[in-house]
Amino acid sequence: MNMNDTTNAPKIRIRKLYKIFGTKPQDMMSHIHAGISKADLLSNHHHVLGLQDINVDMQAGEITVVMGLSGSGKSTLIRHLNRLIDPTDGEILVDGEDVMSLSKDELSKLRQTNMSMVFQKFALLPHRNVVQNAALSLQIRGVEEAEREKEAQRWLERVGLSGFEKHYPHQLSGGMQQRVGIARALTSNSDIMLMDEAFSALDPLIRTDMQDLLLELQKELHKTIVFITHDLDEALKIADHLVILNDGAVVQQGEPQQILMNPADPYIEDFVSDINRARVLRVHTVMKPLKKGTKYTGDVNPNDTLETLIARSEGNTADNFRIVDGQTPIGQIDMKDLVKALVPRISASDQRAL
Amino acid sequence: MAFYDWFFNALGLREWCDTNVSDAPMSMAQLLAQARGETASANGDGFPFPSLDNLNKACTEMPRTREMTAAVEDSFLAVKDTLKLVLDPLTQPLSWLLDGALYSFSTIPWFILIPLLVAGAWYVSRSVGVTIFVAMVFLFLGFVDHLDVALQTLSIIFVCTALCILLGIPIGIAMSKSNLLQKAMIPLLDLLQTLPSFVYLIPLIFLFSVTEAKLYGIAIILYAIVPVIRLTDLGIRLVDQDVIEAVNAFGMSNKQKLIGVEFPLALPNIMAGVNQTIMMSLSMVVIASLVSAPGLGVLVLRGIRNLELGVGLVAGLGIVLLAVVLDRTSKAALARINVSHQSK
Repeated sequence: MNMNDTTNAPKIRIRKLYKIFGTKPQDMMSHIHAGISKADLLSNHHHVLGLQDINVDMQAGEITVVMGLSGSGKSTLIRHLNRLIDPTDGEILVDGEDVMSLSKDELSKLRQTNMSMVFQKFALLPHRNVVQNAALSLQIRGVEEAEREKEAQRWLERVGLSGFEKHYPHQLSGGMQQRVGIARALTSNSDIMLMDEAFSALDPLIRTDMQDLLLELQKELHKTIVFITHDLDEALKIADHLVILNDGAVVQQGEPQQILMNPADPYIEDFVSDINRARVLRVHTVMKPLKKGTKYTGDVNPNDTLETLIARSEGNTADNFRIVDGQTPIGQIDMKDLVKALVPRISASDQRAL
Repeated sequence: MAFYDWFFNALGLREWCDTNVSDAPMSMAQLLAQARGETASANGDGFPFPSLDNLNKACTEMPRTREMTAAVEDSFLAVKDTLKLVLDPLTQPLSWLLDGALYSFSTIPWFILIPLLVAGAWYVSRSVGVTIFVAMVFLFLGFVDHLDVALQTLSIIFVCTALCILLGIPIGIAMSKSNLLQKAMIPLLDLLQTLPSFVYLIPLIFLFSVTEAKLYGIAIILYAIVPVIRLTDLGIRLVDQDVIEAVNAFGMSNKQKLIGVEFPLALPNIMAGVNQTIMMSLSMVVIASLVSAPGLGVLVLRGIRNLELGVGLVAGLGIVLLAVVLDRTSKAALARINVSHQSK
């Protein structure tokens, strides 16, 4: 892989992307540029504005999470990346190359080698067993059976499914089926992984397991992952870069902790108000600069959650911790700041005052 | 003189109507009327329906219904020779196949053929019960001396069903891929399915000689091919779209998709269509005995023609037994596929 080019330029870059559903979507672009609203476009021209003016950069080796409620266009957006859906206007650059300019063969090649996808409903082939399912992309590429099954086997082991190779998908639980789905994506050895609500159909405990598995895999594989979800907790847990979509438009994007502390508008404020902030917010987000002469109760890691800190202080509000990154102290936090950060509105105004 | 005279007079067509007037009575009805001393104008109805026959009474240039059906016949006869020139060589292999199958089923000795058929039933169904039942049926048919006719029926069904599958599945696949073709084919399939089975035979008798096997072969195939086409089309359209999207996302080509995903997933539906096709060829092979198809149907026909009640009923029982054999065997095969493919 050419690490030199990818250090700065984003791996995937979406520019001014529009998607209009209807009989003559191209003709509607002029109305869009004239600034027509989504409701007017529907009532006057009978076209649905699916996505409007999406601009997102997705960095190599990061997990970009696109979050939105149902109907916000997030599944439509992810299908644009491998052109399962074609955009009405705008460009999608992967490694600097516009996927709209690809020929049919080049597009097939892109889907076979550069991008893999994991689906909400697993979408495994019911008539093939687990190892054949996992080896799908290699089979499509025409790799020898023994070789592709060895590779599939390796990834099945990695996702904790060894011993189930000869089972059929319907013999597995939902969680296990999705592990096969992930193994199928990993076996293709693509550097981009698209995950469309991959964990939404699983029950909460299994979902947490799968999120941990994904983070663990990501730690060693450093893939560019685009993850779609409607669950903010999930988004905050795994996102390096969070994009919040509402009604086909990006409402806010950025580092998840920053979005949590500075919601851009009432919609997002509503969204984040239901979150267990103590579990999501990290110490470095709410820390204050070091003040000389303060007495510290102890040292903490900047990536600890506030919950860990509360547990450590055993509820003692007089405690004051020093934050140490490796060896260097980088800030401090007292329990008063911590408690304030737990209340959405106060913490937001606090941050604005800073 | 006739009721609709005023109509042609008003249109100023009287002269055209009377160009070829002849006094000779043309139809039996007119002859009878004349014999009874009635005039043609003495029409019982006060206000007759303006049908061809009634209009003809007012204007002899109008064709009568009889002439209209004769015209249909003439036009068919006019294209018949050209049609025959094209269809004859195309369908000749069908005759060979049918004759060959009939020949081999009647020359292979029973002690080889019956074990072969029973083994075939086992291979397809993998069910002990079904296999034993098939063996019992053949032994019973042999015992009542109906084995050779039953085997004739069976051989025709084998050939026709095989051809139906061979032609029907590709047509069904093409239909599932093109909405336009589907729209065009559905009325045709409806027509083939609703046309009374006797009607198939009429134009075929004109086209081919009754001594040729392909005459009934074509009738059976046209009648029985419909379900396999319909269910192949339906089966492929019903394949889970999520799975199709997934294999698209991994860059599968259309050919790989058809062979590796769509066809296997549609197989249970296709097999249901094959089962229907087998049953329909059995029902048609009985009717086709009217046009010299050999087998159990001939005995049924004899029962009707000569009022031989016993012959007809025993042959009918033989047909029912064959039907049950074919149905159970193909259903067992279908169930086997269902289990191995998607027991969800």
